[in-house]
Amino acid sequence: MKMLRILALCCFILCGALGIHTTPVQAQPEQTTVEFSAAQPEVEMADQMRQDGKIYIVVTVLLTVLGGLLFYVITVDRKVSKLEKELKEGLGR
Amino acid sequence: MKNWWKILTVLLLVFTVAAGMLSDVPRLAILNETIRNLYFHVPMWFGMILILLISVVYSIKYLRKPSIESDIIAHEAARVGILFGVLGIVTGMEWAKFTWGEYWSNDPKQNASAIGLLIYFAYLVLRSSFAEQQQRARISAVYNIFAFAALIPLLFILPRLTDSLHPGNGGNPGFNAYDMDSSLRLVFYPAVLGWTLLGIWIVNIKSRLEILRQRLYENA
Repeated sequence: MKMLRILALCCFILCGALGIHTTPVQAQPEQTTVEFSAAQPEVEMADQMRQDGKIYIVVTVLLTVLGGLLFYVITVDRKVSKLEKELKEGLGR
Repeated sequence: MKNWWKILTVLLLVFTVAAGMLSDVPRLAILNETIRNLYFHVPMWFGMILILLISVVYSIKYLRKPSIESDIIAHEAARVGILFGVLGIVTGMEWAKFTWGEYWSNDPKQNASAIGLLIYFAYLVLRSSFAEQQQRARISAVYNIFAFAALIPLLFILPRLTDSLHPGNGGNPGFNAYDMDSSLRLVFYPAVLGWTLLGIWIVNIKSRLEILRQRLYENA
């Protein structure tokens, strides 16, 4: 049961991490094609999420849906476990 | 670690969705990127067969040695199997619309799976028509064996005897009919296992809940 709790936490962190990943992308404007002088260093930006036809956004959404569903299943599982325990104790009395 | 397989389920499904969208797939005409549906549509059917097999096993177990637990597991597994089957047929229709041109083209595979599902719907109807628990359990266990025995030829034999749009059917398919290359298999097998385990997980939860309910009635 403890493992399940850790698992739920991991799901949360995963979803959270992906969420954080998306935020700077939304704020960032379209990369301009203006040529800078050669001395200008390339600015590192979180461009990963908009590459490849924005497929990563779809992956994020799918993982969020899956994460939500799995979280629900885990919650129901824990509720049933709790009930099982309660009923066992109730019968023992 | 009793619940290791539940953690495995989560890991496999996360892998399926992420790798299923991002991995390389064969570039085929008509199919295009929809080939990725292989990781989501096909596992529904594999999962359905495996979960219905669990249902039949528990039905046989019930007939050999009647117990409420076996009956409950057989029933819940059949319900989840039917859910997977419905999802399989709906995702198949969605996929067919954009590759075969029609949601429903009366393809032998489509028709046979529809008949198979109807046979299983009848299982639920039959079950709900008995008030007496032992009678319900015994007769639905017998029917369940019949339903599974009818499903196998409907899905795996009859569509192969005639021409079909569906891959793996029409003529002699063998095992390589899906033209699956190693990059597809790398995601496909984890996908089948992950989705099936998710189904088993739901069966597990629902059966435990039903068994609890049964205990509660006994003690009431």
